[in-house]
Amino acid sequence: MNGNELKEIALKAYRAMEMARAFDTKLSALYKAGKIYGGVFIGRGHEAIAACEGVYLRKGYDVYTPFIREQAGRCAWGDSVLDSARCYFGSAMGIMRGREGNVHWGNPQEGTVAPISHLGASVSVAAGMLIAKRMQGITDAVGVICIGDGTTSVGATHEACNMIAVEKLPAVIVVTNNQYAYSTPNSQEFACKSLCDRGLGYGMTTHECDGTDFLQTLQVMGCAIAAARAGEGPQWVVANTLRMCGHGEHDDASYIPQELKDSFADRDPLTVARRQLNELGWLTEDEINAIRSECADEVQSAMAQVQKEPTPSPASEDWSATSWKPTRY
Amino acid sequence: MSVTYIDAIHQAMAELLEEDDKVFLYGEDIAGKFGGAFKATKGLAEKFPGRVLNAPIAEDAIMGMAIGAALSGMKPIVEMQFADFGTLAQNQLGNNAAAHYYRTGIPVNVTLRMPCGGTPGGGPYHSQSVEALFAHYPGVHVLCPATVADAYYMLKQAVQIPDPVVFMEHKFLYRWLKADTWIEKNPLPIGKARIARPGRHATVVAFSAMVPEALKAADELAANSGYSLEVVDLRSVKPLDTDTILASVARTGRLLVVSEDFPWGGVAAEVIARVSGEGFHLLDAPPLRVTSKDTPIPYHPDLWKAHRPHSNHIVEAARYLISL
Amino acid sequence: MPQVPILMPQLGESIAEATIMRLLVQPGDEVQADQEVIEVETNKAVMGVTVSCAGTISRLSVAEGETVAVGAVMGIIEATEEEVERSGATVLGEGEEPAAPAPVSSTTTSDGAHFRTEGEYREGSGAPINTGGRGLPVPMGTRGAHYLSPRIRSRMDELNITEADLAYVTGTGAGGRITIDDFENFLDYVDGWPSRPVSPMRRSVASSMQRTWRRPIASAGRPIYMAPIILHRRNHPRKPGITLYFLRALAIALAQAPECAGYMVGGRILTPRRIDLGVAVQVADGVMVPVMRNVDQYTLDELIDEYNKVVAQARDRKLDPAYVGGGIATVSNFGGFGLTFASPMPLPSESLILGVGSVEKTPVWSDEVECFIPVEKANIVASFDHRVVDGGDIGRLMQKIAYYLEHPELL
Repeated sequence: MNGNELKEIALKAYRAMEMARAFDTKLSALYKAGKIYGGVFIGRGHEAIAACEGVYLRKGYDVYTPFIREQAGRCAWGDSVLDSARCYFGSAMGIMRGREGNVHWGNPQEGTVAPISHLGASVSVAAGMLIAKRMQGITDAVGVICIGDGTTSVGATHEACNMIAVEKLPAVIVVTNNQYAYSTPNSQEFACKSLCDRGLGYGMTTHECDGTDFLQTLQVMGCAIAAARAGEGPQWVVANTLRMCGHGEHDDASYIPQELKDSFADRDPLTVARRQLNELGWLTEDEINAIRSECADEVQSAMAQVQKEPTPSPASEDWSATSWKPTRY
Repeated sequence: MSVTYIDAIHQAMAELLEEDDKVFLYGEDIAGKFGGAFKATKGLAEKFPGRVLNAPIAEDAIMGMAIGAALSGMKPIVEMQFADFGTLAQNQLGNNAAAHYYRTGIPVNVTLRMPCGGTPGGGPYHSQSVEALFAHYPGVHVLCPATVADAYYMLKQAVQIPDPVVFMEHKFLYRWLKADTWIEKNPLPIGKARIARPGRHATVVAFSAMVPEALKAADELAANSGYSLEVVDLRSVKPLDTDTILASVARTGRLLVVSEDFPWGGVAAEVIARVSGEGFHLLDAPPLRVTSKDTPIPYHPDLWKAHRPHSNHIVEAARYLISL
Repeated sequence: MPQVPILMPQLGESIAEATIMRLLVQPGDEVQADQEVIEVETNKAVMGVTVSCAGTISRLSVAEGETVAVGAVMGIIEATEEEVERSGATVLGEGEEPAAPAPVSSTTTSDGAHFRTEGEYREGSGAPINTGGRGLPVPMGTRGAHYLSPRIRSRMDELNITEADLAYVTGTGAGGRITIDDFENFLDYVDGWPSRPVSPMRRSVASSMQRTWRRPIASAGRPIYMAPIILHRRNHPRKPGITLYFLRALAIALAQAPECAGYMVGGRILTPRRIDLGVAVQVADGVMVPVMRNVDQYTLDELIDEYNKVVAQARDRKLDPAYVGGGIATVSNFGGFGLTFASPMPLPSESLILGVGSVEKTPVWSDEVECFIPVEKANIVASFDHRVVDGGDIGRLMQKIAYYLEHPELL
């Protein structure tokens, strides 16, 4: 990858990070105003990891399995914040039409899996999409499968990762270690020294990066995804960060020690990315401010639009869970 | 020449692979020369290279993989080695595959073949009938063929249905049930029950291996008492053909439901709930059911025979029902 | 133009339906407010249904002979806005459907919970759920002649057949119960007989008598001397009806012993609030029972006009609603048919009926003149719910009645 290509990718990823941050911030405010049903789950601290994995993928060709804190990845992949907002607001115009909420949305026809709440369940689904592509003669598609430190404990994850390794699928498993699974710290989640050990156990090539360091993350993801695309088999990427928010917006994360929070005070991925891009001379202060302001405007207009859209009606709902129905005689 | 129930299933899969290149088979031990624990796929891997795939022992991931493949345009047919292990795939089937169409508008064209039901010596974990566990989830169709022809036609029809279909194949019927051919002039569509034997004094609703038991019971009762039982073969437990059941109860006024599954909350309970709700006015006696006992399935054949509904149990229950 | 429905009115407390006898108007006719437009026959009366405002009949949706539920729309009047406003008539809405009750909403949230819930359920909130206990809804078993299966019951409903009609059938089911086959065979048998349809009046009497018969009804009787009444009546300028004497005597006696007309419901006996008494009047194909109010509060003379009026109305089967229902006991003068003894049946809503036999002249030995002398006597018979009262109570009640009848000047 030459310098210009890297710059283009970096700027695209950075813009996705700003968009996701603006979206999450607005969403949190709307949640606290009582405008959103259920819960709100934001990705503060995850933006660099998500954006850097999503930015290398081709929507409609590759497979992307975003997880709970992947708004930046969705933006980098090419989904609009309007679609995410529609899922949260249960808009009848959204892909999920009010039948699903918050982060549970996807568009399998474009390559994203609509995740279910059960952690690890989407890993094998993504594997199936990759197997199908192989059967269909597509050899250079990859799949990025997002999991977290908590998900590595789930049996379904193990079954699926082993299967991916056995089938040598072009999958990149991104393990975002944000140190807490809801309130459970790493020490109570796993006992291996590093989560990389798990990838090694499956027989995958492993990578690790500081997920708060934008440029480092961009490079590591780029390598891993390129390797998978080149047919080198599944890649296991452990990206370390801290969840810089609660599990959901109902949660104040008071169980995270203050010292730990303080140690990440100057490691907000957005701050780091702005500084790095500025230092490289790729973006001026003014350009950064302009991007931030454009993202805020786009989020604002998406949120305004979605609140005016029709909500699903129980009366016109068909209440049918199958596409095929038997003939009645 | 006669063909068996498992021959019909094998033939259906061979034809499906032949006719549609989107179809592939996935499961434990099904590929290579081995051809599956019950040999349902024997020879298919050689005939259709790259389309009959062995899976690691990972029922959840097997089902998840099939979902992903279906979402990418394939029509996977998954074999669970035993229906009992299907519970390990239940999360993927019930929460993921079955819910997918309602959530996203995109159906998941997966067929899950599950060798179910008891055989002598099968014991607790190689004998269960789990159709009710799977039918519980909105968004699935659950088929339970009871004849050689149904095994053939219903499997072929199942793959044409865009939604997840659970295809419950009875292990006891695999080689015990024989017919001259699997070809039938007018095969019924899925969702339609079949009157396996007309009768006047009571309706016996059955499915899977309980259909031959019910027919045997009907013959015995007719020979010994003159009472005639109408046997309804459900064919699919979901969709459940309530119309055919109600029409039969309208003729007989009495209902006995036979299921090899455990009693609690099974298909028999569902049938009785529907008839009681929609056809209370048709009943001349309380609806009854014959199911296996409310214990795990025992290993020893003598215990197993007593645990599972047998034609004698059906005769006894039908006599009681008619005496009311 | 506003559409005003013509509704089947509630023509009595326990009336659920009525039969259309005659349509007095046709679509297109102009009608005035309060005009009678449809003649209906209920349980025990023929009545005219009126309209609540003036206008034009735009539609009639019932036919003569049809039985219609109370509250059903029988037709539509098109009325002007002014007329609707003036009359206060209720107008049919756009969709003709009542608005659904507004959902009760509350917006409690639980801070820190994984998901917010709206209108959370809290223990102790809202009305308690009644878990029943008012009797078992179904028989405990099917082994018994009393058991009728859902299928037989639905066939019976379809054919208007009551349990009493099944007395003929021998059951072949468990415990002698009637199976659906027994029932259908019985129907085939019945079809072989000549028959005529039952009139609404007959059906109503049949239903009443059948319901009343579910209780243990006992009868007790005694003779009374009729000469004083006959003499009193002969000398009375207005010739009060004979039955009125008995009504009055019963009223005074019941005012002194109201418990004799108590009515048992569950673990309670209802006590009469007022001495409202019915009088049985034979009409074509049935009996009507107009009820006179507070009979203990007025003298015989004061009651003559009202008595004559209600009897006449009953004979015409056009009872004023003021005289329908609410009685505590009834007088039935079967003597008018030449009967000296009968066992009358109380109405299902009452526990007591007093029957009066015909007057007979019988020889009675007189110690004074030492010979048989002719004496006019009649039997009075009381039928009563034996759960509520016993023979002794009724004997004392009858003694009082006899006393007043032999002293008509006290009436």
